[in-house]
Amino acid sequence: MYKYVAKRLLYMIPVLLGVAFLVFAILSLTPGDPGSIILGITAKPEDIAALNAEFGYDKPFLIRFFNYIGDVVLHFDLGTSYQSRQPVINDILARFPNTFLLTVLSMSAASVIGISLGIISAVKQYTALDQTLVVVALIFASIPGFWLGLMLMLFFSMKLGVLPSYGADSLRHFVLPTITVCMTSAAGLLRLTRSAMLETIRQEYIRTAKAKGASQKRIIWKHALRNAMLPVVTTLGTSFGASLGGAIIAETVFAMPGMGTLITTAIRQKDIPVVMGSTLFLAVLFSLIILIVDVIYAFIDPRIKAKYENGGRSRE
Amino acid sequence: MKKMMAVLLTAVLTVSIVGCGDSGGQSGEAAETKTEVESQAGKDSIVIATDVDMDTLHPSDFSTTIEHTIIKQLYDTLMYMNPDGAHDPEERIAESYEISEDGMDYTFTLRDDVTFHDGSAVTAEDVKFSLELYMDSEYQGSQVTGLESVEALDDTTVVCHLSNPYSPFLLGVCQVPIASKAYYEQSEDDFVNTPVGSGPYKYVGREKGSKITLESYEDYYRGAATIKNVTFEVIPDQSTTAVALKTGEVDFAMIESSVIAQLTGDNSLTVEEVAASGFTYISMNTEKEPFIDPKVRQAINYAVDRENIIAVCYDNEAEVNSNICSKERFGYSDDQPQYTYDPEKAKELLSEAGVTTPLDLGSILVAEKYSNLATVIQSNLADVGINVSIDVKEFNAYIDDLTSGNYTITALEMTLDGDTQQLEMAFISDYIGTANNARYSDPEMDELFSQARAETDNDAREAIFDQIFTKAQDEAIYAVIGNPLTLYAHNESLECKEIPFEGIYSIYDFSWK
Repeated sequence: MYKYVAKRLLYMIPVLLGVAFLVFAILSLTPGDPGSIILGITAKPEDIAALNAEFGYDKPFLIRFFNYIGDVVLHFDLGTSYQSRQPVINDILARFPNTFLLTVLSMSAASVIGISLGIISAVKQYTALDQTLVVVALIFASIPGFWLGLMLMLFFSMKLGVLPSYGADSLRHFVLPTITVCMTSAAGLLRLTRSAMLETIRQEYIRTAKAKGASQKRIIWKHALRNAMLPVVTTLGTSFGASLGGAIIAETVFAMPGMGTLITTAIRQKDIPVVMGSTLFLAVLFSLIILIVDVIYAFIDPRIKAKYENGGRSRE
Repeated sequence: MKKMMAVLLTAVLTVSIVGCGDSGGQSGEAAETKTEVESQAGKDSIVIATDVDMDTLHPSDFSTTIEHTIIKQLYDTLMYMNPDGAHDPEERIAESYEISEDGMDYTFTLRDDVTFHDGSAVTAEDVKFSLELYMDSEYQGSQVTGLESVEALDDTTVVCHLSNPYSPFLLGVCQVPIASKAYYEQSEDDFVNTPVGSGPYKYVGREKGSKITLESYEDYYRGAATIKNVTFEVIPDQSTTAVALKTGEVDFAMIESSVIAQLTGDNSLTVEEVAASGFTYISMNTEKEPFIDPKVRQAINYAVDRENIIAVCYDNEAEVNSNICSKERFGYSDDQPQYTYDPEKAKELLSEAGVTTPLDLGSILVAEKYSNLATVIQSNLADVGINVSIDVKEFNAYIDDLTSGNYTITALEMTLDGDTQQLEMAFISDYIGTANNARYSDPEMDELFSQARAETDNDAREAIFDQIFTKAQDEAIYAVIGNPLTLYAHNESLECKEIPFEGIYSIYDFSWK
């Protein structure tokens, strides 16, 4: 198991280098240079050139890339923003806690709501309750996030006046963004849990368990859920990772300073150090989360645990 | 390996999704509005929304409007000039000024009671230092064009030596924030991050991406501001700003015309329309056929329905004007020719120019945010027999094509603010490749602008500008549509004594009723 984890951690190095190279290349190959973006169309060409030289942007692409990687690896330095001329890590640390809190809150809420309702829906298949849940989930899965956010804001902030419409100063500020992000994920999880459960319930061993006279509760919790959880955990892991960088819509609508708005602004301003720093930061987190998900598999499914312990080879 | 690829792809996908921009939507739904106007008596704080965060408070190395706005609250200038050029400069740190006969030396006499926020006196050395910061700045250096050296004669006298007479200098020098030399020498980082200014408000702190707080400087030489605490809140989405204005969480905000319908019905809010010199225009590449012929350019000017464009693309929040010089600006006159909507005249001019219609002009190049502008123009041109398709590009790619002349016709907005002289960027040959998008080159025009630059007599200067804009209109160098208004919405109880032309306001002029 430890060997497996260590191996996976080593795999992260080429993954991160690949991410870094791709993003760096895309940013460098698209038109526009930081100097002219900052100074605008009316600037003198010599001022633009001087500013680019100051940023080191006058050097060839590959040299800039290796310099950057060198700074990151050797000095743990994510660079200095072109716009604010402040260390990038300050920008990330100022915003990451908001994004992290929003992600944790909304993913927890989504898993509680989505998984429990998904189980209920599967167990009560074809009842009115099941059908209502499926339709409601379909609606929430299709509602665009910004619209839901605005509607929540109009209702709770403007009409009722009970929750703030923007900001990230207290937990109250997180209520509406959390609902916005959580509803879409919860709807997805509900649908996934439901179908995974239904598939499991039809398996032979469930029938066997029933025939043995096991109680309904035991069949659901002990036999069906554990097997149905595998695809759900996978989705949960990836969507947790994705929403670390992807709660942009909620962040934008509710004016919450987070990683999503940081990266979008930086891309538009071609602030390469900020984009690179935030992307690498998120890529590390994302890889770790995927790793954790894989480890969790082992606890859910002894078959996988056995595989890991065999050094990745199947026993069969 | 497969898993690794999957991780890589997912990560890249995440980034690319993140890169897709935030097209925060607007809800057309105007929810029920609060009608009761709460009494604001005794209120001494203000919350101002800004759609972007500021990145720096360096007094010379800043580039955005919000940075300019905050710096204006923190720092005072030598004098105050409303950039419309219609007013005489008012004294601020300088109580008087004198311009030498030859227009080469500007002498400012400073007040002796002005202090920085750390209590130290503002001296001539600080002014010299601040002006020199501007001279060396790639960001704001153009404000002090022509300045060769600065001399501090004594504690309260500063002389600016120019390399050539340059009449817009006074307006430019009035924009320079006066910063503390001693504080800069103490720590450059603090100078930028925790500025000590000379203006009515002190810097208190900021939360990145979220807010910036200021408080009134009680020893300000013109008397402490009536509003004591100022918070700038970063709200990227306009619909959210509109809601926050209506709930009273935000007191003052610059807004876009798209949300104005949601706000005008609310009597707890006031909307201010401030004129600005920025202009929306069609640029035709005068190096390419058919736009080498001024008649064709005139035809385009007659073919566009400016009222309609402004109604469709600006919700009527712009002033119709075919002149590149906005009506408030020095040098504008109603006698300079204006183009109005006249498709018949356009067709006539096209046939006079020997253009056979229908003419296929290729494409109208636009950046994504101006694509609706292009759509209206496309249909106007079709009405006079000119067919164009619309070619939409990402902004930076667009700017590359625009400045390198790799287009035939395009539409965009531009701001050439400051003195009217700045409009030379759109016309003189030195700026081909930057802001002279029409790639217009004419020795007579170059000469007129260089005369205006050196002329110190206001009337004579006005006459030169009159010649310039008459010529520009006669030759139809651009097809200007109009000047978008800068819009502010604020709490009805907030009194905003003056929001100057171009809209860089001073909170010192605000008070609660």
